Amino acid sequence: MSAIEADSIWKEYRRPHVRATTFKEAALALLRGQRGYDEFWALQDVSFTVEQGEAIGLVGPNGSGKSTMLGILARVLRPTRGAVEVTGRVCPLLELGTGFHPDLTGRENVFLNASLLGSGHRQTAARYGDIVDFAELSDFMDAPVKTYSTGMVIRLGFSIAIHMEPDILLIDEVLGVGDEHFQHKSYARLAEFKRAGKTLFVVSHSLTGITTVCDRAIWLDRGHIVTDGDADEVVRQYHDAVIAWEQSLAEAKARDASAS
Amino acid sequence: MSELLEVVRYREVLWNLVRRNLKVRYKNSILGFAWSLLNPLMQIGVWYFVFKILFGRDEPNFMALLVTGFLPWLFFSQTVLDSTACVTQEMALVKKAYFPRTILPLSVLLSNLIHLAFAFIVLLALYAVWGVDVTIYYLWVIPATLLVAVFAYGLSAMLAAWSVFYADVRFIIGNLIGLWFFLTPVLYPVYHVLKGSLKNPDNVVEIFLSAHLEPLKKVFMLDPLTIGVESYRSALLYGGENFIKIQVTPAMTELEQANALALQEGLRADYPLLPYILGAVAIAVATAIIGQWVFQRKAESFAEQG
Repeated sequence: MSAIEADSIWKEYRRPHVRATTFKEAALALLRGQRGYDEFWALQDVSFTVEQGEAIGLVGPNGSGKSTMLGILARVLRPTRGAVEVTGRVCPLLELGTGFHPDLTGRENVFLNASLLGSGHRQTAARYGDIVDFAELSDFMDAPVKTYSTGMVIRLGFSIAIHMEPDILLIDEVLGVGDEHFQHKSYARLAEFKRAGKTLFVVSHSLTGITTVCDRAIWLDRGHIVTDGDADEVVRQYHDAVIAWEQSLAEAKARDASAS
Repeated sequence: MSELLEVVRYREVLWNLVRRNLKVRYKNSILGFAWSLLNPLMQIGVWYFVFKILFGRDEPNFMALLVTGFLPWLFFSQTVLDSTACVTQEMALVKKAYFPRTILPLSVLLSNLIHLAFAFIVLLALYAVWGVDVTIYYLWVIPATLLVAVFAYGLSAMLAAWSVFYADVRFIIGNLIGLWFFLTPVLYPVYHVLKGSLKNPDNVVEIFLSAHLEPLKKVFMLDPLTIGVESYRSALLYGGENFIKIQVTPAMTELEQANALALQEGLRADYPLLPYILGAVAIAVATAIIGQWVFQRKAESFAEQG
């Protein structure tokens, strides 16, 4: 059974020339007959299917549409064209500790953050002990989060997310956070998650992170799928392409230097 | 409709946001939650100073009438004003987490309902001091609050959505609410407007007003806030009586009393309440439906803003 079915996804962003934020600017732009924005297609005809239990990574340079794709899967963004069908409970982890409020205690923030990940009060209460243990923060849960170090915030945020027991976990750039010890724990937990037959969808610039966690990878470039296949193979191709591109840049620069 | 189901599914987010707003509001203040009671009390102190001491208003029950009418107004105006920031303030959530966006204006409405409940406690304490009787008609406060809440929600949803795209909305609304306050019978009883006429209109605005006085009075009576504010007075102070009411005092001569009663009866005949109440309800419900429609349409692109 497939967990995610993305059918020909297109996403258009409008980039305003000069951001019209007031009625006056908007009215003037209208009077002058300006369209006021450039069209920009972040995703163009992207289709793929993810089977249940698969761990899939999305790689590609900045601006290739990875985060847009994840935003669409998380229902934060809406595709301009095309449709996504997701089967199962999704836990979108686009940021660690979404909605954390500095003045609230660690405990209060766990309940707030967990509700944003779709967990009810009773479910969160049942998992609360595990979350705190995993984050190794049991002495700090009654202190306001503004007194936490960056590492503590990250550990708590990550711990909440992986204890939500979703069918599908979406992760954006938050692989390999925390210190060495916490990273080992996190990777072990994700491996456990995979063994339990859950689906993982990971966006990362950390290619080793992708090859460690994922079986399959998709390489996106300027909104198009370049290749889709075995994680090691796709990551190798992407890595080679980047090296080749950098070499060509260096050569062009050298040519320019010798020409002038 | 499906949005409503989503809100029920994500109700936990709603409770958490409301709880967070209440907790954070009085953080770093020594008196903390006591401010929920002190705020309305101090506001009433200001009214007392201005109207009783500076202006020397000495109608019977003046303070009780003022404070009672002020409660639903405060609830309405605060909800509408808060709503203009409710999406922009939570942009970090909107960009990073899915939840039905309707929860944002709803959390503003709920927070202010809780503040209204606190203010109500203060009001009841004052009633005890003033010797106002508790009656079964107090229950009319519930539908009156509901009417104001539905109307406030509709405007809130609309304004919340527009302020994401146009920061101007906030400033315009701040001033319009100021005007609306004087157009709502908070500082005066409703009959003042109904019996009113303009003598010798001599500028554009006055000529316009006097030429359309009767229809404008009908519009005034259809304002859900007029109905809401006066229903509070009827429920809490008049024992459920028609709120087109002129206070009769022993200090008046017999002729004055008779004139006041005759005027009151005339106005009650001219403005039968039921159709106006139904009209105000219809306006509030229509506002809520339109507001929700606008909000949901705009909500799709919230995450792509700024």
